[in-house]
Amino acid sequence: MAATLCAKLLPKQGWLPLSVSVRHGSKAVTRHRRPQHILKKKLLAVTEYIPPTRDAPPGAYPHQIKRGQEECTGLMLLIKEDLKKVFQDYKMIAVVQNNNSNTDDMLTLRHRLHKHGISVKFFPNQVMHLFLGDSIYGSMAPLFIGPTVLFVSKTPKLREMLSTLRVSPQMTLLGACIDNTLLSVQGVLHYSKLPSMTVVQGELVSGLTMLTSHTVSVLQRHPGQLSALLQQYIKQQSSETTSEAKTESAT
Amino acid sequence: MVSVLKAAVGGLMDVCRANNHLRGFLHNHLKLFAAGMKTYEIPPDYSNVVLPAKPKLKFLNKVPNLKKAKKEMKKLRDIQGPAKAANAFTVGQYAIVAMGGGYLHWGHFEMMRLTINRKMDARTTFARWRVNAPYKPVTRKGLGQRMGGGKGAIDHYVTPVRYGRLIVELGGKVELGEVESVLTEVAKKLPFPAKVMSREDLEALKKVHADMEQNNQNPWTFKQIVQGNMLGIRKVLSPFDLHNHGRFTGKFHLPGRV
Repeated sequence: MAATLCAKLLPKQGWLPLSVSVRHGSKAVTRHRRPQHILKKKLLAVTEYIPPTRDAPPGAYPHQIKRGQEECTGLMLLIKEDLKKVFQDYKMIAVVQNNNSNTDDMLTLRHRLHKHGISVKFFPNQVMHLFLGDSIYGSMAPLFIGPTVLFVSKTPKLREMLSTLRVSPQMTLLGACIDNTLLSVQGVLHYSKLPSMTVVQGELVSGLTMLTSHTVSVLQRHPGQLSALLQQYIKQQSSETTSEAKTESAT
Repeated sequence: MVSVLKAAVGGLMDVCRANNHLRGFLHNHLKLFAAGMKTYEIPPDYSNVVLPAKPKLKFLNKVPNLKKAKKEMKKLRDIQGPAKAANAFTVGQYAIVAMGGGYLHWGHFEMMRLTINRKMDARTTFARWRVNAPYKPVTRKGLGQRMGGGKGAIDHYVTPVRYGRLIVELGGKVELGEVESVLTEVAKKLPFPAKVMSREDLEALKKVHADMEQNNQNPWTFKQIVQGNMLGIRKVLSPFDLHNHGRFTGKFHLPGRV
């Protein structure tokens, strides 16, 4: 019912009234606004004021600080030394954005990560940029904007870290540096799906040993069978050579 | 005991240093002394304000002194569009500004005069009319009279006011906060929307409008379309729109348009 009423009341889209009733006689009443012609209404609607688009709010972009103006305090140098040590000692350094997580969340996260031997480290971005500026990890600098946290561990334990991060929605992985290789989030995911080093080595060794073991098993069979196999092999070889010679003579 | 002594000495020192450089271990004890000290704002400088001899609003005649009163037509154009006269401050600081057109009659004048004269402080403030006494005749036919028989007799006189005109101007050794309540009380009773504004407010209003005109992102402006008579639009517009660029409909001001 309501729908049909609305449909009747609402003017149709793209419909022009055939005749517009605007009285041009007396204009004496000033109590209310006089009814306007539809074309004038349209003109007014078309020529509305459109304000200019607002600039980005202040602080949306990081400040452009010149290198020379940065002041290094003793504390900053100390933290920088720590940072250098961290980058030397640890093989896996993951950069994670910290989105408004409270103390409880952080505590549980730390506990979960600690089980796998991953520790959480906080460094000021200013010091981080100071360190990254003159080190080989310079390309990591764009990751350190806003509140960021470092997950570090001596061995690359990506799968455990990713499973822990899946539980805590406040933390977002931005990228990681594993064995001095910078990886994106996708790269980290791919890396975590790879089998471990020992498994790969085992596969390689088994692949190599399979051939020799096969040879050994063939040699250990009955001599008659072995000689039959060898005869067949020679026949095949000879037929191949004759066919090759034939083709050579034909050409 | 020692602390009290320290406080006393510190308090004396503090007075000497103008309460700015509190430092060291004395600070905690000095709080006791510093609590009552306050730096007041420097009051505005009114040294160049000259109060006129008669600071109050003048009585305005109900009927103009004419030899022969002539009936006029309605001439509604005198309340349409923006004011061309008395739309800027002269001597005062604060004013009631009309935000639409309308007619003021003698009753409004009396209301304004009595309220403002009663509530303002004549020793520090002065007030000035920025509108003339009622001069436009309005005719009415007598009660119970039959229609026809020509135009009626002059009933009363009114003063037409356009958008942006100052009605009353106040000035002197006062701040806006002191007179605002009186002026808003008066402005509410006027027959058109009216606002209390200071000199700066009015300038800001004009500046906002100029900025809007400057920074309009709409490539189609009313002015351009109407002046070019695009699609024969002038057929449905009046010369009034040509001058005012769609900012007014009759006596009404359309805010937010350029």
